[in-house]
Amino acid sequence: MASQSANQRSGESAKRRGNESAQRLDASFRPRRRLWRRHQSLLYALHPDRLPAASLRFTYTFGLGGLAFLAALIAIGTGVLLAFYYVPTPDQAHASVVLIEDVVAWGSLVRALHYWSAQVAVVAATLHMARVVFTGAYARPRRFNWLIGLGLLVLLLLWDFSGYVLRWDEGAYWALLVGAALIQQIPFVGPSLYLALVGDTTVGAAALLRFSVWHIIGLTLVVGFGVAYHLFRLQVDGGISRPPRPPGQPRLLASKDDLIRVEAIATLIAVSGLIALAALAPAPLGPAADLTQPPADVRAPWIFLWVQRLLRWIDPVWAGVALPALLLLFLAALPWFDAHARAGLWFHPRQRAAHTAFLLLALALVALSLWEALS
Amino acid sequence: MSGQQRLLASGLLLLLLTLALAGWRASQAPWRQWLRRYNAAHPEQTVPIAPRPLTPTLTGQTELCTTCHLGIEEISPSHPLDAFGCVICHGGDGLALDADRAHATLRGGRNPSDLSVVATSCGQANCHSGYDATHADQNQVERVLRSLQATYAGGIALVRFTFGAQPDRRARYAVRAVADPNPPPDWPMELATMPFSAEEDIPPTLVGQGIAVSHHPIDTRFRQGCLDGGCHLWEPATLAPYRMRSTGCAACHYLYADDGLYAGGDLTIARDEPGHGREHRLTTAIPFSQCNHCHNRGVYSLRTMEFHDRPDLPPAGSPLSEFLSRQERRLAEYYQPVGPFTLCEWELDCIDCHTSDEAMGNGHIAGKIEDSRVIECRTCHGTVWELPQTAPIVEEGERALLQARLNGRGALKVGDRVVVTTRGEKLWAVREVAPGRFVQTLKVSGETLEVPLAYGTNCPQKPDEQESRYCHACHAYDRDRGTVAAP
Repeated sequence: MASQSANQRSGESAKRRGNESAQRLDASFRPRRRLWRRHQSLLYALHPDRLPAASLRFTYTFGLGGLAFLAALIAIGTGVLLAFYYVPTPDQAHASVVLIEDVVAWGSLVRALHYWSAQVAVVAATLHMARVVFTGAYARPRRFNWLIGLGLLVLLLLWDFSGYVLRWDEGAYWALLVGAALIQQIPFVGPSLYLALVGDTTVGAAALLRFSVWHIIGLTLVVGFGVAYHLFRLQVDGGISRPPRPPGQPRLLASKDDLIRVEAIATLIAVSGLIALAALAPAPLGPAADLTQPPADVRAPWIFLWVQRLLRWIDPVWAGVALPALLLLFLAALPWFDAHARAGLWFHPRQRAAHTAFLLLALALVALSLWEALS
Repeated sequence: MSGQQRLLASGLLLLLLTLALAGWRASQAPWRQWLRRYNAAHPEQTVPIAPRPLTPTLTGQTELCTTCHLGIEEISPSHPLDAFGCVICHGGDGLALDADRAHATLRGGRNPSDLSVVATSCGQANCHSGYDATHADQNQVERVLRSLQATYAGGIALVRFTFGAQPDRRARYAVRAVADPNPPPDWPMELATMPFSAEEDIPPTLVGQGIAVSHHPIDTRFRQGCLDGGCHLWEPATLAPYRMRSTGCAACHYLYADDGLYAGGDLTIARDEPGHGREHRLTTAIPFSQCNHCHNRGVYSLRTMEFHDRPDLPPAGSPLSEFLSRQERRLAEYYQPVGPFTLCEWELDCIDCHTSDEAMGNGHIAGKIEDSRVIECRTCHGTVWELPQTAPIVEEGERALLQARLNGRGALKVGDRVVVTTRGEKLWAVREVAPGRFVQTLKVSGETLEVPLAYGTNCPQKPDEQESRYCHACHAYDRDRGTVAAP
């Protein structure tokens, strides 16, 4: 009896052990109730329970990166709505934009929001870059993230330009012709790249379809992953840069609630501003592209006005390929040239050389663009 | 409420306000305003405030033009709106509801029949161009481009000859260069664009078009003083009462009131802005008053190269048009005090005598007015010795029959005999109803008149004197007595 019960016990304990392992197995297979796991999510990493109060200081970042992010989100949301109506064929593209603009309920507002949020994203991202330069925020260990950001800016410009082409109005068509011709000027890879982008010997249906796919799907994905990595890397590098804490001073912290409240208020103001802008200034749209008639006055989209000005003066290989490439190279190398930079303070004297070079370059681009716009 | 909560609430309020702003702006779109105005003007049949799509059968492309231009007159029964729509003639962006965008690519601005664009509007294939030699008269666009009304070739030749700029009266120049691949013997094959006196006179818009420089002082003066003043179909008219008209085909076929005000149903066309047609309509029943917008409005002084308006015209528009009878108005507006005219010249409209070939050209470049002018008194009245020349309507689809149907006033059929000009153009409106008996249908009013004949009378005419000035000697209307000397 005793042995029996001992047997029973051992049997029970074996069963219990088996149950326990089954339970453990069950537990590990149990469907997750929580999709957002606090400590493994980028969103959580961006909103920790406690964060340095200095990261929240508006006059340090001016919220520019966040504004660019928000504007890009709005552009994606409104872009999805536009995609329900847009037809990427040469004979229908412009007509479908006109339809969106004039017939579809709220179409004009949605399109204007799309347009203005895209422009705001470009402006905010550029200013964000300037802020990073002027506060030395690209100093070690953030050099790599600077390169990511620079790449994102280039992608953002391409995103903007590819959207501009989709209007298929006079200006867009001729801008595409000029852009495609510039691509052909790139040494070695130019002709293949041209064929890959334009998809035909002439700029037409294939090019429009490719640009629409790049604009709506390709670049959206690439920029999306790029931004996610940019933010992830920001956390890896220690969060938003800030001046080193003077010894002996207490660590000032802010709570997650403060951060969310600030974000909410900034979002409300930014969204309101964008809606007001969109309501008062509709997105531009020219007459349908007439492939047989060269237009009287073609302007590049504003982001490339400076290239257009250069094209009037110098060889296309220099104006459209070499100089922009050199500019990018200079920007990419800036953190390495500016090796003494320390993050956290605006216009630190140690960085004077880098700041002066950056400022002169920026002024030159603005001056060239204004010249082209006003001439 | 903490400071941050207040800020959050203000942000929300701001968002709502901007959304309201966006909604308000959308509701104020001009096309909605036009529809509201239309409804206010037509309370008995209000329309929904929504885009009004129209898909003309000829193009199959939906257009929204009549959303704003609701109430506009159909241009003509031969161009029904359901079949043609607007874009096929006017161009523009038919899907746009924004006026600027919709109108950015209009052909010829308001007037698609302007000669600079007529080849792409009225002159599209299978419209008023592109027919073979057997139906060459249907190529109205080419005919008009080569006609005196467009080239002013005879006038240019005469003025240049008078001032010694060319050795004879042969036409060399036109307002715009024009060519005819198959001219009749002694008719011009091509005319160059009227020259300028000096290189620097050529306006920037005309540079690079191969326009000659004559080095004769009269050319630029003549161009600027007269030709640019609206004396041909290329040039817009002077914006003055009695003289307003369109250009190209519409110069004749699109009727203007003397005051140049629109009186139709399209609310977007300003009713107090001179320079619009009376209604959005084309017609072949063109009254004398339309011809009058160019002809008989005054005199050119060759010495000063200036146009002098007639000083004796009554004020344009009402009350003149309303209170005077047609004939009284004609007397007041048309004939200059010293000009003699016969009863038929007074009672008929210009187009009752002057034929299509005369007004629009016969397809060849007329070098002088005699090339164009065919009609004589004897065409309809005959001579003392002969009845008017006649010809039968031979087949369905022949030109005279088409013209009669287009006009709709007279019932003409195959087998009828009509008067014919010396060049063989049939006057569909003057029928021989019985041997030696002729009846004319007036093209504008539709009245019918018995045509009095010279044949068999004791009229003292001479066989080689058939121009109207010879007839005026006896048949001129006496204004003071209100009678004709010899009816």
